[in-house]
Amino acid sequence: MSHRALFGCILASLAFVGIIDSGYVAINSLMHFIVPCGIAKGCEEVLNSPYARIRGISIAWGGVAFYISMMFAGIFAAYGFGRILRLTLPIAVLAFAFTLYLFYLQAFVILAFCDYCLLSALLVTLSLAIHLVTRAWKKAS
Amino acid sequence: MSTSGSPLRTNSARAGKSSGRLSLAKPFLVGTILICCALSVAFFLARRSQGDEPFPKPADSIIGTKSAPTAKGWSRGNPAAKTVLIEFADFQCGSCGRASVVVGELIKKHGEELLVVFKHFPLEVVHRNALIASQAAEAAGRQYKFWEMYELLFKHQAEWANVPDAQTFFLNYAAELQMDLEKFQRDLWDSELRDKIYKDVLEGQVAQVTQTPTFFLNGARMPTTKSEAEFEQLITDAIRKAK
Repeated sequence: MSHRALFGCILASLAFVGIIDSGYVAINSLMHFIVPCGIAKGCEEVLNSPYARIRGISIAWGGVAFYISMMFAGIFAAYGFGRILRLTLPIAVLAFAFTLYLFYLQAFVILAFCDYCLLSALLVTLSLAIHLVTRAWKKAS
Repeated sequence: MSTSGSPLRTNSARAGKSSGRLSLAKPFLVGTILICCALSVAFFLARRSQGDEPFPKPADSIIGTKSAPTAKGWSRGNPAAKTVLIEFADFQCGSCGRASVVVGELIKKHGEELLVVFKHFPLEVVHRNALIASQAAEAAGRQYKFWEMYELLFKHQAEWANVPDAQTFFLNYAAELQMDLEKFQRDLWDSELRDKIYKDVLEGQVAQVTQTPTFFLNGARMPTTKSEAEFEQLITDAIRKAK
């Protein structure tokens, strides 16, 4: 397995977890279910805060869209279409910037953290890292 | 020759095109299947996390009627006030705890011009001790100490929120409030009080309450505010208009 295929598989795996994570929050909000919160304190404050929605739509749907793009990028890279990672790099950078903004909101504005958001922040960071590592690897070789 | 060679080239070109499509189709198909699987898992988990019906289901005839809640229940402030604030809250919810402080301040400042009505909305699915906490407040209410218990429950929320024996803490609070402990303990499990709480929940469901705290100001649902100051401002404005 080439390194690009390997990175593609890792990216697709991250995206798989990401779709479950953000999809879970998005579906719950769509169906007006109450999201059970676990480890992090104040999860419900974050998910019920005005920042959790844009024009009434849960921002978790944005997460689902991001992870779907990462899933396709990873699968295509695994099948030898590694160039697609060049196209998805800006998406990963934007998602990382938005993640930083959401982290700032949780830490300094809402003063509470949500487990689902923290997991998503980790997955977005790792997705960007995969893009950068693939790029660096290609340059080195 | 020329007639037989041309179709061959065409065929090979077609074959080349179709293999290109196939090679793109395969990752696309795999990606789509994986996405569908992940979304199905998310949907399954969302359904499962709801478990049993959290509250008694409202009768079909009242679902979607979206009527405003009534101002009946535990209240503070001036019963004749023109500005009425109704709060649906859960004793185990952190935001409700913070909101209770803000509402307390509002009562101190505008007690003569404002009536605050409390409605139970225990989110049993996510808060294991919310219902028993509501019952503790109601049991205290039978000894005319609802608001005192309300304050203690919110103040010490972190102590009892996730423990298996929350009633031990509630008994301590009852002792602190110098209540008749035997009566309190009996009332804590009284089904009549539970029915009273579920009536509030039902009223909340009819009014489309899905989260806590949810406030209704003069019958209209208040928007989610970004800060306590904004929340206070909305109520102060309503009081000023009512004058």
